[in-house]
Amino acid sequence: MNTIRQIAAVLLGIIFLATLFAGAFAPAPYAKQFRESPNASPSRMHLLGTDELGRDLFSRLLYGSRVSLLLAPAAALLATSIAALVGGLAGYAGGWLERIAMAGTDLSMSLPWLFLLLTVRAVLPLNVPPAASLLITFALLGLFGWAASARVICAGARSLRNSDFVLQAKACGCPSLRVLARHVLPNLRPALFAQLLISIPVFILTEANLGILGLGVSEPLPSWGGLLRGLENWGAVQANPWRLAPLLLLLIVVSCFQLILPREDFAA
Amino acid sequence: MRRLTLALIAASILLSGVLPAKSQSGGELHFVLRAEPKTFDPMLVDEEASETIRFLTGGVLIRVNRKTQALEPELAASWKVSQRGKKISFHLRDGLSFSDGTPFSAEDVAFTMRKLLDPNLHSPTGDSFRSSEGSVRVAAPSARDVIIEFPAPVAGLERLFDQVAIVSSRSPKKETAVLGPFTVAEYKSGAYVLLKRNPYYWKKDAHGQRLPYLDSIRLDIQQNRDLELLRFKRGEIQLINNLDASYFENLAKEEPAAVHDIGPSLDAEHMWFNQVPAAPIPDFKKKWFRSANFRLAVSEAISREDLCRVVFSGHARPAVGPVSPANLFWFNRSLQPHPHAPQEALRRLQQDGFRFDGHVLRDGEGHAVEFSIVTNAGNKSREQMAAMIQQDLEQIGIRLNIVTLDFPSLIERISRTFDYELCLLGFVNVDLDPNGQMNVWLSSSSNHQWNPEQKSPATPWEAEIDRLMQAQASTPDQNQRKRSFDQVQKIVWDQQPFIYLVNKNALAAISPALANTSPVVLRPQTFWNVESLYYSNQGRGVGQ
Amino acid sequence: MSATPPLLSLRLSADYPNKPNVLRDVSFEMYPGEILGLIGQSGSGKSTLALAILRLLHLRRGGQRGEIWFQGRSLMRLSEREMRALRGRELGLVLQSPLSALNPALRIGTQLEEAWRAHADGSRDAVRSAILETLSSVSLPAEAALLRRYPSQLSVGQAQRVLIAMAILHRPALLIADEPTSALDVITQAEILQLFVRLNREFRIAILYVSHDLLSVASLCHRIAILHDGEIVELDAAEQILRSPQHPYTRRLISSLPSHPIAMREELAVATDQACVPAEPR
Repeated sequence: MNTIRQIAAVLLGIIFLATLFAGAFAPAPYAKQFRESPNASPSRMHLLGTDELGRDLFSRLLYGSRVSLLLAPAAALLATSIAALVGGLAGYAGGWLERIAMAGTDLSMSLPWLFLLLTVRAVLPLNVPPAASLLITFALLGLFGWAASARVICAGARSLRNSDFVLQAKACGCPSLRVLARHVLPNLRPALFAQLLISIPVFILTEANLGILGLGVSEPLPSWGGLLRGLENWGAVQANPWRLAPLLLLLIVVSCFQLILPREDFAA
Repeated sequence: MRRLTLALIAASILLSGVLPAKSQSGGELHFVLRAEPKTFDPMLVDEEASETIRFLTGGVLIRVNRKTQALEPELAASWKVSQRGKKISFHLRDGLSFSDGTPFSAEDVAFTMRKLLDPNLHSPTGDSFRSSEGSVRVAAPSARDVIIEFPAPVAGLERLFDQVAIVSSRSPKKETAVLGPFTVAEYKSGAYVLLKRNPYYWKKDAHGQRLPYLDSIRLDIQQNRDLELLRFKRGEIQLINNLDASYFENLAKEEPAAVHDIGPSLDAEHMWFNQVPAAPIPDFKKKWFRSANFRLAVSEAISREDLCRVVFSGHARPAVGPVSPANLFWFNRSLQPHPHAPQEALRRLQQDGFRFDGHVLRDGEGHAVEFSIVTNAGNKSREQMAAMIQQDLEQIGIRLNIVTLDFPSLIERISRTFDYELCLLGFVNVDLDPNGQMNVWLSSSSNHQWNPEQKSPATPWEAEIDRLMQAQASTPDQNQRKRSFDQVQKIVWDQQPFIYLVNKNALAAISPALANTSPVVLRPQTFWNVESLYYSNQGRGVGQ
Repeated sequence: MSATPPLLSLRLSADYPNKPNVLRDVSFEMYPGEILGLIGQSGSGKSTLALAILRLLHLRRGGQRGEIWFQGRSLMRLSEREMRALRGRELGLVLQSPLSALNPALRIGTQLEEAWRAHADGSRDAVRSAILETLSSVSLPAEAALLRRYPSQLSVGQAQRVLIAMAILHRPALLIADEPTSALDVITQAEILQLFVRLNREFRIAILYVSHDLLSVASLCHRIAILHDGEIVELDAAEQILRSPQHPYTRRLISSLPSHPIAMREELAVATDQACVPAEPR
């Protein structure tokens, strides 16, 4: 168990370092179009080949990983924090607070986000530099992605509110918010971690879909989402299976996260 | 099922009394309709699937030869246009019959035209004949002569008859009685349309054998283009029109003999700068976009060759202007695509007071040149073109931000709020005649995209285009019209209100088992000569 | 009338949203150092009463009306803040199932510390020693290793003792035990009963012992109240109830007992003779 954990941690560390210092590792600028060799197979010059426009896929993967690895977890953290706050408080307090908060999440989940996002796009100026587009994208993800998690957290908090140990803690005279912080939240931690982990890959993929609305990370900046969208062209994938590299990297990173995140062993 | 099909085919051959000579006759052609046909009434056709049925079943007086793009007599043995395009008289072929045996006469043509031009029918085909108020007079002085008189000259009158399928005035079978090579035999909504050979079709081949050679055509209704390709590879269907470049490449690897790059199509990809005076964009940008030098510089900074080669895998040609070289008569042959000339572009920009420091281009007031390009999301080739243009413009210090929008939002921006700077879209052209582009070029038109619905022309060159377009529309003299329209093309080339990028090639797939095929860029690309198609080796296509 | 003022005196009614009249005008008094047994079938409202005294019934969506006087104060008129100050310090509660009443995600030490810090400050070491002292008073090993354990690493009997330790951490005047032995095996049950008797004697903690089991209560309590259908049908000294039950329900309860609880009661009386029995209430 521990060795697996260590391996996962080292792997993640390597990936993080490689993406942080993408500039040092990348053989070419991520936006440079080698127009003489589009759709190239892997070679010494292009380790993973090139995309449809002749851009070096390895460089794009490095830079794209940086974008997604820093921002998707950040967005997931934001969304899960909001979910913990709203869901935890609502489920723990119960009563009208819970009803209002759940009505809010229901509303948030039933809202036609597509159209709201279109409105957001309409409100934003057209000339958004790629770097700003990236921050906007993930802020949106974080702000809009909390509702489903909040439901789960709320349900968990509700069952905790009715639990005997919360009653016992209150019978011992512990203040309400202290019970929330010391008794309820630690029990929600596994659920919170699960929500966090689930939302990272979901956000990475959502980012790709937002691109269709003109809200994603914009050209020429690469992101995992954008790279995964390249897999739509199945013919190109067949011709160059190395194009699956972003998918593979996504799987590795998500599994590593799963492995190294601390887990309380309640059942000895 | 297979046995039943064979039996039906055998029965139809016996009934028609035409026995297949050699191995040429018989067989079923199979391809797909990408949408449900909305109507089988030839007068109400408004979309491509219905158009396909009309083409395969309808007999017309004059046919546009899809290969030569010239007019050919069909049901009419001859015709004559007079009174500057107000009057047309037809002399019909003798001894023709509808598919149910009802004889064909001038009465049928008069009946068809009267019905078609009835305003209450709201026929899209009929609408194209309506150029001004007043009634149309249709007369049939003899069984083989028809005279039609319009209240005012109709531009490109003869060509319009290519769309007019003649229906019978007397046949009890109404519009299922046809004069074309095939007739609708079966239709199952959402599934297929089965066409049978018209035994009374009038055309014969050189040996005197009655056409068409094929017994039937089966059109499956299927939207999924991946499945279409798969079925073609399996040999279940024999034709694919308008093949995507990626499918083309995919198929070319497996069946090089089946794919056909027919050359540039009539369609173009183009982009334009927003020149609307009231647009909610900064004034200094409006100043850039209204400068012909600026537009030309952007045009020259783009490598169209690279776009064709990289984005379209070579299946496209650098575009010259609004008319594709595929339009044999109307294309202005004195024009060339704008070359990729970044230095020349910079020189033009310097004339306008722009300065380039090697990294950033600035205008005379010091504003860094940065603008956005919008295009519709989900169109991969446009997104790729935008990315390449982004890099091309970077070479002359222009920062381009790419914004992909869903189609409704895009339309909202380019036609209502005018909140955009540069827009990349396609230009679909079905009409060879410049009159089809009238609504694009007139400055008063709502489709005059870069600055629509002008009260009076904003610039002298737009006024000149207005004048030339009106001039070409008001004369029946083709050569005079051509001179006017050539000039329009030249003005557009000089001013670049639309920056034309590429003409996509027409790509098609045809089973090598079919003989006599001759794909063309005009619709319906692969089966325009359907009556002459046959299977070179019998068996393929007769059931599967 | 009694010389000693009652520690607790109440008159309570309670309802749940879909279940009215769970308690109907239940009234009784308790005296300092007394062990009062509250006997009733499941569903008779005895757990409701236990929570209502701490004014925690709202946590189970219940509502309560009436009067609670405790140490001369009217609890129903206290603010939630004042109430909180009483819970755990003057009013202790031990719940039925020790394993669900302990937080599975927290170490024993942390939970005890939380309970301590609810009413007292002190350095880490002071807290630690107070906790260890209480642990030894409930016959648990007073060692740090125990504090590091999670509830799932304890036996049920140990867990129940931890829970009792948590409830008596601040030496409350009244300990309410809601069926504290029902989850335990017979031997452990007896040990815990002994523990209650000892706590009562050593710390003079009055105990409201809620149970459905007349037998165990009889061996422990000075007085017994029979709760039936939301009402107290009989309340008297334990011997009196066992020898000559008045209410038909009480008689039925006693006739169903397997052996001779009176004999047992007399044996146990030796152990509890130091308990302060108030002189003939009422």
